[in-house]
Amino acid sequence: MDGEKKREFRKVLVANRGEIAVRVIQGVREAGMLSVAVFSDADRTALHVLAADEAVRIGPAPANESYLDIERVLAAARETGAEAVHPGYGFLAENADFARACEDAGLVFIGPTAESIELMGNKLAARRLMIDSGVPVIPGTSEAVTDPVAALAAAEEIGFPVLLKAAAGGGGKGMRVVREDDDLAGALRQTMGEAKSAFGDDAVFVERFIDEPKHIEVQVLGDGRGNVIHLFERECSVQRRHQKVIEESPSPSLDPMQREAICAAAVRTAEAVDYRGAGTVEFILAPDGEFFFLEMNTRLQVEHPITEMVVGVDLVRAQLEVARGNGIPWRQEDLSQRGWALEFRIYAEDPAKNFAPSIGRITALHAPTGPGVRLDTGVYEGCDVPIHYDPLLAKLVVWAEDRAAAIDRGRRALCECVLHGPGHNIPFHLWALEQPAFHDGGYSTNFIDENFDPADFIDPLPPEDREALLTAAALFEADRRLTVVRSPDPCGDCPEDRQKKRASNWRRSALREMTGRK
Amino acid sequence: MWLKKRYLLRHGDEQFTAMVGSRAGNLTVQLDDGAQQEVDAQVVMNGRALSLRLGNRSHLVHLTGSDEPGRLEATAVGRFLDLLVVDELHAMVLDTDAEAGGGVLKAEIPGVVIDVLVSVGDTVQRGDPVVVVEAMKMQNELVAPVGGVVLEVLVEKGRSANAGDLLVVIEASQIRDR
Repeated sequence: MDGEKKREFRKVLVANRGEIAVRVIQGVREAGMLSVAVFSDADRTALHVLAADEAVRIGPAPANESYLDIERVLAAARETGAEAVHPGYGFLAENADFARACEDAGLVFIGPTAESIELMGNKLAARRLMIDSGVPVIPGTSEAVTDPVAALAAAEEIGFPVLLKAAAGGGGKGMRVVREDDDLAGALRQTMGEAKSAFGDDAVFVERFIDEPKHIEVQVLGDGRGNVIHLFERECSVQRRHQKVIEESPSPSLDPMQREAICAAAVRTAEAVDYRGAGTVEFILAPDGEFFFLEMNTRLQVEHPITEMVVGVDLVRAQLEVARGNGIPWRQEDLSQRGWALEFRIYAEDPAKNFAPSIGRITALHAPTGPGVRLDTGVYEGCDVPIHYDPLLAKLVVWAEDRAAAIDRGRRALCECVLHGPGHNIPFHLWALEQPAFHDGGYSTNFIDENFDPADFIDPLPPEDREALLTAAALFEADRRLTVVRSPDPCGDCPEDRQKKRASNWRRSALREMTGRK
Repeated sequence: MWLKKRYLLRHGDEQFTAMVGSRAGNLTVQLDDGAQQEVDAQVVMNGRALSLRLGNRSHLVHLTGSDEPGRLEATAVGRFLDLLVVDELHAMVLDTDAEAGGGVLKAEIPGVVIDVLVSVGDTVQRGDPVVVVEAMKMQNELVAPVGGVVLEVLVEKGRSANAGDLLVVIEASQIRDR
């Protein structure tokens, strides 16, 4: 087996971009190795390119011609003599063909085997394996159904409410909740019709629908020789359209018995595939405390830093150790959770505009500092946020000794952030921290749908900061026109007539703006 | 001598005024109908932010101008604001313009007319400079609130104008320029 061999490497190609590429490059450098970044035409000056020892252009801006192009990534590895590949998350991270192509090319793939990726990527196969391994799965049909009589029988056995789910669907499409048996036949017809037209396959699954679910996941690490440990749980129930926004560890919803049970289930999941490297087993937690296997992510997770903070480990370093064949660097009994960590994903998305993505140049960026604060970032002041990729700019992670202190620290650190240029969701995070449902920890994945109103973000000026903000804005303007505040002349040493012309143009545009006319 | 200038600020649908006074490095500010107070303002962070002391209360406000004139991004302790700032003499023209068919240019604060750039019968476009007024030691170009033909010029160079005085009347053209 691969894992039994020692496989030394000194140069790692990071097949990704953004904050995770920077994070991995930092880890590679700390391990005394060399890093190779790859970049598309949109990313020549992106932070991961600036951070790496070497950088190779792999194609035009669209991801499928660059970051998703296996041949181009492998060619970059050949060109630079990289001996290992770290896929990050997203892009090719859960592509079994890529993992196989790396190994075939003699490169160490820093992740699981292609077989593990393939198996966990197949929902049906993964579900069957979990049932065989004694890991609880959401009760439902193991075969797709098309017959209303069979569907009703299945639903009655499972118990209402049930979820009808297109077998070929995904991403929330082709799903319908049915709460009573009378509604089932009609709902089945509709779901099948939609599935047929959307996916060309009308087969549907019937499974139990869980109201007010929580998303709990467990970090695992395997050595590929059958040894697996867990690094406890993360709760990621603050989601918008299945995209996580705030994560925390530990989960405020688990008691010690549940925690032990869910972590043990995660270890069984990983053991079932002789898992190698870092992975995450995701569960749905029902309000009654029952939990069910959702899926396994066979890669490093976006929210891995909160585990690092609470358990006191470095997961990228552990990934490198396992990939070199050195085994898992810790014993299970030496690991424990200490304190509380929160992660706030800073997206270039404007909450006041219902999270519309925003792009452009970052004109001002000030990062928070101080105790218990960590910022994993893929951007810098003056860089451009391109339109082609994920809008995640950075992750603000805070740690403190308990949950209340972590919330206070999160609020403080978020208030220290300055980010001008693209719209972003820092105001959303500050809003979330004030919600009673978040405070008491009882929130579910419905948190945003139930509480969020974009109108809350078209905020009147806060009375406490009104005076300072207005005064500063007036002085900023006055500075250019009256020089009441000494600062570098924004015009530099340009001739006076040009200054006048600028002022005049400025006035006209301002007028148009103020009158709302073109 | 104190130089005073009033700014109009807009945030969303809210509008505010700020009167800024300066003399020999000393600053005062008066917001809306509030009391005038001294401000200790220092440009910090290489021109990217202002440190303000209002009384002893310390504020750090990050400010970034944009390509759109008058538009600023301002951030203080987790508040991210888009603001529009314009000085009052120009804001005055907006008020006139807002009146339907308004082709009347009025002085809203006293000043001295430095230059008159149009004559009766001239055709002007909205936004064309019409009169230059000096007030509070600042020269300000007043622009045509509408496009059309100049009907009356009620001021001349060198004369002072009081608040509310009519300066120029323009007959709006049939088809307004947008």
